[in-house]
Amino acid sequence: MLSVKNIQCGYGDIVAVHDLSFDAAAGEVFALIGANGAGKTTTIMALAGHLPPNQGSITVDGCDISAGPARERLQYGIALVPEGRRVFPDLSVEDNLTVGGHTLERARLATNRDNVYQIFPRLAERRSQLAGSLSGGEQQMLAIARAMMADPKILLVDELSLGLMPKMVDECYQVVDTLKKQGLLIVLVEQSTQRALDVADQVAVLESGHLAWQGSGDEARTDSSVVSAYLGT
Amino acid sequence: MLALDLLLQGIVQGAIYALIALGLTLIYGLLRILHVAHAALFTLGGYIGVIVTNETGSLPLALIVAMVSVGLLGIVIYRLAYKPLLDQSPLVALIASIGLFIAFEEVFRLVFGSYGLSFENPPLRTQVNLGGGLLISHSKLLVIGMAIVILSILAWLSTRTRTGIAWKATVTDSQIASSFGINIERVRYLNFFIGSALAAAAGVMVALLTNLVEPTMGAVASYKALAIIVLGGLGSVRGTLVASIAIGIVESFGTVYVGHILDRDALAFAFLVIALMIRPQGLFKAG
Ligand SMILES: Nc1ncnc2c1ncn2[C@@H]1O[C@H](COP(=O)(O)OP(=O)(O)O)[C@@H](O)[C@H]1O
Ligand SMILES: [Mg+2]
Repeated sequence: MLSVKNIQCGYGDIVAVHDLSFDAAAGEVFALIGANGAGKTTTIMALAGHLPPNQGSITVDGCDISAGPARERLQYGIALVPEGRRVFPDLSVEDNLTVGGHTLERARLATNRDNVYQIFPRLAERRSQLAGSLSGGEQQMLAIARAMMADPKILLVDELSLGLMPKMVDECYQVVDTLKKQGLLIVLVEQSTQRALDVADQVAVLESGHLAWQGSGDEARTDSSVVSAYLGT
Repeated sequence: MLALDLLLQGIVQGAIYALIALGLTLIYGLLRILHVAHAALFTLGGYIGVIVTNETGSLPLALIVAMVSVGLLGIVIYRLAYKPLLDQSPLVALIASIGLFIAFEEVFRLVFGSYGLSFENPPLRTQVNLGGGLLISHSKLLVIGMAIVILSILAWLSTRTRTGIAWKATVTDSQIASSFGINIERVRYLNFFIGSALAAAAGVMVALLTNLVEPTMGAVASYKALAIIVLGGLGSVRGTLVASIAIGIVESFGTVYVGHILDRDALAFAFLVIALMIRPQGLFKAG
């Protein structure tokens, strides 16, 4: 469904990701792991259309979207949960969801909002609260909920658990599991790898912008020396 | 009675500052550009207001023409002057903006003359009795009424409509907003249109109050509006509104009670300096 071929991305003259390729299908969790500065966010932002790759291609169901703008990514079913959550702090929870559903018709907007509130009852309770006043974990849920508003097929999640309380991490991973069972492809970036490995169907390890290891989740879990060698855990 | 009178005067002045500073703060919030040339649009609004009123005899028509044409000019300025500079340091846009402001002043001088224009039949000069001998001119009432109506419409837009919510989201984080399908270029156009139209409305109001528009009338407006948005906490709409009214009231009382030491503009800046010493981040943190 998502096919990345030999992409190279960077900032000006700096190349942050070299020659990265992978394929991922619906209903999978594709874990992209690596140390700080390895190029995970760069990859996610390229997939999200915020950083067009210098080389290579990104295709979704056969459509080449490499150079398309971020604004059109939802048309291809790609939604972003960015690093640092980046909810709109001075908008209410409900208005954050309205932005998430910006491309929807009015009736669909209301239906999808109700659906999202069912997955995240905690957000329903806080619907008129300003997003900036939520806890870190609640903001992460809002960021996921906002991305879910437009019925995406592919969810890009950058640093799901960073800075969250353990209990919240559990809840967020439960949501990932639910969404995966609903048939979404989840591209999951994590620095703390154990939880990501537990849910991953495929694993790619980035090291200084290079693909250092790639394999199935089972391989990564059974032969954890492979992963720990690259991540120094 | 004097106190009430001064309060009213301060609110009128504050309402005008608010109309000018709002556009400035919206543009700063969206693009991180200090749009100095904004004050020239305020002046232009005043000129158009006076000229159209003199030609047609209709103040409402003049107000609409001023707001729409200056709003469109705001879009043109964004498109031609700022958009090409967005990748550069914000200083480049600032310098361009100052250049543009000076150029506008010269154009006003050349086109409309150095001495300024006045209404042939100054509208709304009559006084109303608010009770207890408190008098206010119709024009001042109009300023307060306009400000209330415009701000209410904007508040409604930005909290109750999807376009308004998308607008606020874009001002806070345009990159993420674009990820949700928001056309940020269109939001910028809207932003410049509305901000510039508000400045034009303020220009017409000042023309009404003083019965004079002159090429340099934007100078004070430009630095005072900058002071106000800094005081409001750069980029914060609520902070800008509060700071506008606060400065209006401080000026109004100050000119009477300490006016022999500090003139009106010095007062406003003394207030700014003191306020920023107490709250360096401005009245409200930028959203
Ligand atoms: N905006 C930027 N400009 C220049 N270099 C950047 C920028 N963002 C990230 N980098 C560099 O790109 C490399 C990869 O960063 P990033 O993708 O953020 O890593 P990760 O998300 O894995 O921590 C790092 O060396 C980082 O310094
Ligand atoms: Mg990162």
